[in-house]
Amino acid sequence: MNMIETRNLTKTYGDFTAVSHLNMHIQKRRVYGFLGPNGAGKSTTMKMFLGLTRPTEGQFYIDGKTYPKDRMSILKEIGSFIESPAFYGNLTGEENLEIIQKLLGLPKGSVSDALELVGLGPFRKRLAKKYSLGMKQRLGLAGALIGHPPILLLDEPTNGLDPAGIHEIRTLIRSLPRQYDCTVLVSSHLLPEVELMADDIGILNHGRLLFEGTLDDLKASARNAGFPTDNLEDTFLAMIDADNQRGGR
Amino acid sequence: MTLSLEIKKLKRTGYFPAFIGAGFIASAFPVINMLARAQTFTALSGDPLTILMDANWQMMAMINILICVCGSCIMYHTEYADNGLQKMDVLPVRSGALFITKFVITALILAIIIVMETAVLAGCALHWFPGRGLSLWELLKTAGFQWLITLPTVMMMLVIASAWKNMWISLGIGVILVFALSILPQDLLILNLCPFSSPYQTYAMAVQNDRVSLFLILCPVETPGLGLLEMFYQKIRRCVQ
Repeated sequence: MNMIETRNLTKTYGDFTAVSHLNMHIQKRRVYGFLGPNGAGKSTTMKMFLGLTRPTEGQFYIDGKTYPKDRMSILKEIGSFIESPAFYGNLTGEENLEIIQKLLGLPKGSVSDALELVGLGPFRKRLAKKYSLGMKQRLGLAGALIGHPPILLLDEPTNGLDPAGIHEIRTLIRSLPRQYDCTVLVSSHLLPEVELMADDIGILNHGRLLFEGTLDDLKASARNAGFPTDNLEDTFLAMIDADNQRGGR
Repeated sequence: MTLSLEIKKLKRTGYFPAFIGAGFIASAFPVINMLARAQTFTALSGDPLTILMDANWQMMAMINILICVCGSCIMYHTEYADNGLQKMDVLPVRSGALFITKFVITALILAIIIVMETAVLAGCALHWFPGRGLSLWELLKTAGFQWLITLPTVMMMLVIASAWKNMWISLGIGVILVFALSILPQDLLILNLCPFSSPYQTYAMAVQNDRVSLFLILCPVETPGLGLLEMFYQKIRRCVQ
């Protein structure tokens, strides 16, 4: 069953097409790795799912619900982390999460659960603006994970984390479908990272979906097309390069 | 609940101290004026509250407008500085409701400082105009009128502050509007009704010109009318973002 599905989803800004006729299928309780170079349209796609930007054309369905009709109901089911951590610098980490907890109507204990989950428990009383980059990133993740939402949209969640932090967050994301019945859409520039984390992969270039499927499907498809299959990075670069040479769009 | 959350967001921003500070400065103005030029005013005949309002309200209103400009900028700077507003946009809460709550908070704190200022004016009247009578009803009508005619300015400034991520642009626009509208002729009715200009009117002046009902009808219409601009802005923002 698909938790998220798009049909010819398109977003244009003037004469620039950020996302072009995208048909994505994200299955329930799977981690979907969203790959693509800068400006490929990953963040724009995620923003459309959250109603932050309106699609120019096409539709998407999240847990059977449509935008804009069911926007509020969709947002109740999604925990998100888009582009950069979003918080109030004048509030402590705990106060930031309390705002989200109250707006979502979650129990009080969910705040400390989320803080412990991302390792911010000891720093709960510190002002968010005084957090290090990695800690801000963790706070953003805690804001997405609070209350264990059934769908998680994470846009480059490991940016700014040290290797230990990356490993920790990766393990956490990997465990979410099993632990909380969660469906995760995660975008990352770190290709080995996605390889270790994702069940399914979508590769986006110039707003178009070049590939969608499992890692094994990707390897088979790359082999057929004559692309290297030793590691995801080489396959990805070869696919993007070939698409760019074809003219991209 | 949204009201308590919005108040919580203003923690450590200096928003409430700034309003209370501005209230003290505006309240101190008539006291200093009376200490310096008591005879000029006590020699005048008429209602002491009207004399004090005529002598001081222009400056007090300007301080009130300036703090509304600064307050709105603080509110939205807090939202934009670390992308807090973006987080709110992805939570199941209507952005229109957040805006209205911000307006309610500003309107309430403004009511507090206007009550404070009116109380100081009453104190001045009792101290420097003994035996000339002061009606509590008149005081309440004056405070209520001054509050009501400042609301369109509060609403318009919040719309401006929400439209720019860079606080200095909103602050600049606000300050330009404060000074531009204060130097325009005050005898033109249409200008008197504009946000940033209407707060300079006094209740006594409006009674004298028979404009009380006009202000009482138009300002409560103008305020939600300007609020609709924000709703429209939020709609188009989603299309171009």
